[in-house]
Amino acid sequence: MSSLINFSNITISLSGKSILNIDQLDVPAHQCTLLTGRNGSGKTTLFKIMAGLLKPNSAEVHYQGLEMTWKQAKPYIQKDIIYLHQQPYLFDASVADNIAYGLHRLGENKAAAHKKVMQALDWANLSHLAHRSAKQLSGGEKQRVALTRARILSPRLLLLDEPTASMDTDAKQQTSLLLQRLKSEGVSIMISSHETHTIDHIADRHLHIENGQINTLERAVHSNKVTVLNTPKFNA
Amino acid sequence: MNDLSQASAHAFQLLLSGNSEIWEIISLSFGVSFSAILIATPPALVIAFFLAFFQFPMRRALISLFNTFMSVPAVIIGLTLYLLLSRSGPLGDLRLLFTDKAMVIGQIMLSFPLLVAMAHASFQAADRRAWETAITLGASPARAFFTLMYEVRFGLIAAIVAGFGRVVAEIGCSMMVGGNILHATRNIPTAIALETSKGEFAQGIALGMVLLVLSLSLNAGVSIFQGKGELQA
Ligand SMILES: Nc1ncnc2c1ncn2[C@@H]1O[C@H](COP(=O)(O)OP(=O)(O)OP(=O)(O)O)[C@@H](O)[C@H]1O
Ligand SMILES: [Mg+2]
Repeated sequence: MSSLINFSNITISLSGKSILNIDQLDVPAHQCTLLTGRNGSGKTTLFKIMAGLLKPNSAEVHYQGLEMTWKQAKPYIQKDIIYLHQQPYLFDASVADNIAYGLHRLGENKAAAHKKVMQALDWANLSHLAHRSAKQLSGGEKQRVALTRARILSPRLLLLDEPTASMDTDAKQQTSLLLQRLKSEGVSIMISSHETHTIDHIADRHLHIENGQINTLERAVHSNKVTVLNTPKFNA
Repeated sequence: MNDLSQASAHAFQLLLSGNSEIWEIISLSFGVSFSAILIATPPALVIAFFLAFFQFPMRRALISLFNTFMSVPAVIIGLTLYLLLSRSGPLGDLRLLFTDKAMVIGQIMLSFPLLVAMAHASFQAADRRAWETAITLGASPARAFFTLMYEVRFGLIAAIVAGFGRVVAEIGCSMMVGGNILHATRNIPTAIALETSKGEFAQGIALGMVLLVLSLSLNAGVSIFQGKGELQA
């Protein structure tokens, strides 16, 4: 199992309180990792550090053969890792324009970008919403637009913060389907949750965060059964 | 009473006949105030953004400073600028006193705290996720800033309109550093004051009507844009 990126010695304090103190965090390539932990355990904080959005007190990053400080790694991780908020933020524009947002960086011409957007919409089964105002979509639809908007940039790693919280079964299934497709396309995925949830069957690995530290929990691959080794408490 | 209605009728006549002096005054007023807002807005927006989005020492103090400066009377700004620009003042060599440039500078000083304070409120109310989303999707900080401005555009437009409304109607500063010189620095408020004191009511009323309509529409504009911003949030 090859490693995509490795973080070590992550520490962060917010308002004087130590939130995270993680020795090692290895993200394997092409896999889906489930990250559980109670409310306030630091899942969002960890994801934002990993995506280059929040500056930790310390962190070293091993990526693409380079050993870097978090600051040095920031441009790389911002480019290759995309963070999706628990409630995704869509810009005040049409669904198609939202999906096209990141293509700006790739400097493609209008026609090529338009074609990509249309294909992406088709991929996510969202073509019928292309010209709708993104602000008016339902939570589930927003989540799928956000996933599509991220996928079009071919990220190496997607960090999904509680993607299915407050979704109904149908929306969960649709999101789960897209995630499975992303995984089969070779994108590494991390999903956070304060409970083991309905889309965790796509996870290959299970990490648990408690007292600012990370434990690996053994799980039977592709099953719903989770074996808790280190006996942390779940709100399952 | 008869005088007043006669003067009002004359005022309409002056406006409609395209009386060149009146329209010159109006266009000077607009030119000066537009320039001031145009120059003041970009730095004000950047400062407002930094105040809302980043933590740094003195941040709170700066915010209260801008809020406090909003209430400095125009005539005090005029006085300060007058002293700076007068022959013996530190900036006397620039020879700017009693020019429209001095009026622009005064109006920049007058509008700046208002622009910063109102734009700051808009950025403060903006969703932090908008910034993070732009960055994680690969936007440069500059592009993310423009994206964020677009997301809160109604609040920002309201700030700019309010800033323009404040400077276009102020008289204290324009009078002190402009000097109300015909064809050079006479704008609507100073002209109204002068014409009325000379007993020339018609021109005063004509310009007063222009200013009143303008101020009322600007104020309505501010409310409309603020309302749109709230609806959107
Ligand atoms: N800006 C901040 N200032 C101070 N404390 C913060 C800040 N942001 C987060 N925290 C604290 O850090 C801890 C971790 O927060 P975080 O949002 O990462 O938890 P989480 O695991 O994502 O929780 P949830 O399951 O509720 O989303 C919490 O105790 C929170 O109160
Ligand atoms: Mg969270």
